[in-house]
Amino acid sequence: MNNLLKFATGIFLTLAVAWLAFVVGARVQFGDLSPISESLDEDNEIPEDADLFPMPQPGLAELGSSEYLALGCSTCHTQQVRMVEAGFDVERGWGQRPSMARDYIYQKHVMLGNTRIGPDLTNLGTRILDTEWLHKHLFEPQAVVPESVCPPSPFLYEQQEFSSDHTIELFDEENNSSRFLAPSSRANRIVAYLQSLKQDYELPEMAFIEEPEAIDLEDPSTSDSDLATNGMDLEGSALPTWLSQQLTSGKEIYSKLLPGGGMCVACHQPNGQGLPGAFPPLAGSDWVLGDKERLIKISIHGLQGEIAVNGEKYVGQMQGFGQPLASPLDDQQIADVLTYIRNEWGNSVSSISPEEVKAVRDSEKDRELTSMWTAAELNNFDN
Amino acid sequence: MKENSEQVIDKSLKLAVCFFIASAGLWLLAAAFFAYIASAKLTDPFFLSSFELFTYGKIKLAQANAFVYGWGGNSIFAVTLWIVARLAQAEARGKVLLLFAGSIWNLAITFGLLGILDGHMTPHEMLEMPVEVWPALFLSYGIIATLIIVVHRSRRIKNTIAPQWFLLASLLWFPMLFLIAWNGLELNAARGTVQSVLSMWFGQNVIWLWLTPVALGSAYYIIPAILGRPIDKYYLAVFGFWCIASLAPWSVVHHLEGGPVPMWIPAIGTVMSIAMIFPIAVASTNFHATAFQDINKVWNSLPLRFVIFGTLSYTISSYIGVVFSLPAVAKITQFSIINEFHFNQRVYGFFSMIIFGMVYHMLPRITGNEIAKSAKSFHFWTSAFGVLILLLAYLIGGLTHGVLAQQPSLNWASSVISSVKPYFLITEFAFIVLGFSQLVFVINVWKAIMPSPFELLYKLNLIKKGAIS
Repeated sequence: MNNLLKFATGIFLTLAVAWLAFVVGARVQFGDLSPISESLDEDNEIPEDADLFPMPQPGLAELGSSEYLALGCSTCHTQQVRMVEAGFDVERGWGQRPSMARDYIYQKHVMLGNTRIGPDLTNLGTRILDTEWLHKHLFEPQAVVPESVCPPSPFLYEQQEFSSDHTIELFDEENNSSRFLAPSSRANRIVAYLQSLKQDYELPEMAFIEEPEAIDLEDPSTSDSDLATNGMDLEGSALPTWLSQQLTSGKEIYSKLLPGGGMCVACHQPNGQGLPGAFPPLAGSDWVLGDKERLIKISIHGLQGEIAVNGEKYVGQMQGFGQPLASPLDDQQIADVLTYIRNEWGNSVSSISPEEVKAVRDSEKDRELTSMWTAAELNNFDN
Repeated sequence: MKENSEQVIDKSLKLAVCFFIASAGLWLLAAAFFAYIASAKLTDPFFLSSFELFTYGKIKLAQANAFVYGWGGNSIFAVTLWIVARLAQAEARGKVLLLFAGSIWNLAITFGLLGILDGHMTPHEMLEMPVEVWPALFLSYGIIATLIIVVHRSRRIKNTIAPQWFLLASLLWFPMLFLIAWNGLELNAARGTVQSVLSMWFGQNVIWLWLTPVALGSAYYIIPAILGRPIDKYYLAVFGFWCIASLAPWSVVHHLEGGPVPMWIPAIGTVMSIAMIFPIAVASTNFHATAFQDINKVWNSLPLRFVIFGTLSYTISSYIGVVFSLPAVAKITQFSIINEFHFNQRVYGFFSMIIFGMVYHMLPRITGNEIAKSAKSFHFWTSAFGVLILLLAYLIGGLTHGVLAQQPSLNWASSVISSVKPYFLITEFAFIVLGFSQLVFVINVWKAIMPSPFELLYKLNLIKKGAIS
């Protein structure tokens, strides 16, 4: 250690070994990844005419990624859905599957991030399809998410008193007046980038964990075909309009993992079968098809403890959707989603109206919204 | 006779060391200013929101860079230069060149931070300053490092001791790390997440292999120097040094757990993080076994009180770091504000506290001006209080953040982040206390360097005597 040259060589070697392993190793393993089809054929080859993923970023989105970087957004937003065993990202609805190295090969700036003060944005493009919502959020996040700590970016917009082409209306409830925002080209680039963020395809190395139709509901084409395969034709004359509206809205609430949704799908699964041993099924369930009042009570206040569904025992808890902590559902929404689960996956019983929900809510208005029911309690009322 | 030679050495160092400490102090204030703005923006998102220069993300990065390269870089030069010269019993060479390179270093950081605020940052951890300033930073670093090595090479005693290993290793590691990162991110840029692995590896190593060894080397120097007794179990130090050298570059990648990178990378990182228990145990045994033999003296010497606060903080933070690298814990805390806890624990609670102690030890010897004990003591207590509040807020807030984030049914903004908001408010308060404390430090430093600024002006003949009266 007294000879500086030997000393320097020594400490360089300790560093270089780690560098060789991590950087050169990662490069050898992942450096030449190329786009690939969602699944491979029997010979492990890419099928002919298959779409290849990931697709290159659109030009506007690539420009937007530089703006996103320049504003420092990645300080609070990650862009990686972790492996299932490393965290609950998929359950939270931040992606249908964990992110893979291949997903990033076309990105100009890879911004995985390391802190989540804001939500993960890997799949923002599949969660939020509304361009105006994104613009409003960029201009003043608190206008669309009141509790947000995200700083506003008013410098990306010009504010006007009157609407014109391509302006966005921002309604101010306090003054009962509207402002109109004209997005700058930078704002449009950022929104294009945010909308381009989606890993909504499968890869041979990683299949979807959540069923795709659970999230793709806003797209009318998929929801129609789903309902058709389920033997229910909403457009048909067999159903009155109000009922088909309830079913459509109910399905959306059931599947939506964002505020305004019920997130039911996270536990009860897209096929209504639940998970054996963990979450009870809704399809064919004696609780869903049985007494309406009992079902409404569970959805308002939640349920905890042991419950027997079709003779199988389950232990756990489900939060109520009247609870103020989550984003609460109103009477109409609860009625919609209950009607939906009573008429999906082969279930077919009477619908539930908002009035019925209101009646139960009123009769239990002394009960705290956070105090969950137990199955025993509910069955006693039954008798 | 010996006294004289030390004075000669100190005199040869005076200009350069004072320059580096004074600049370091100003960067510390800049970092404190950015830290306050960033924390205030988290409690009130509308604070300064109409200025594009001050978006939260940019301010946060400007703070980290001002802290690490401005305060960290300058104080590393000052401390390393002084300790290396003292141990080599050799005078400094190339004073003008040192000042010249130091000015370039500081100018480059100034432009770099302006570049970040203007939106020209790179997405790479601890390399966020625009690519244009890096050649200047690298060049000026090279000049300063070479001049320090020249002093070391002209040492009278051939045998080297622990402080020299740590300081010189740190001096050499930074350019090695930089060249590796520059090659992989700019010259032969890899695609996709391979870049992320490299940028994270560099960013964490800057803390582990550049800042940390300087603080450890300073502690190995100052504890025996002030106490007048040898390091207890000194024979372990060489083992500790090579453990850090060979384990730290492996351990830093455990932050990528579960991410889109080869799975073996975070796995190795976790194993090596646990192995870091050994060098941590060696350093804390060396420091604390020595210091606690004469705890009264430690308490009464303010420089040593700062240093022991730093070494205790190092021991605690490193053990906490080991616990948080375990996969079961990492799953909860990985993306929470616990990251801020780790960063601030290391750079404030450990590195900065030791540097404060070193500066208070060096400055009176170099300038011949004592710093008032009450001023130093005030600085110590405000710093200790501020750091403690800050770290507790980030630790408890980070655990809250992480635990709530793991419950998919909770709404993100209205439940998870709303529960963390009170802690943001506490950190804002802590940064005000720390900023105040650092202002006191800078005033102490400037008063020691220039007890009466007017005297200097007389000397330079800028003000003729009698002109004021």
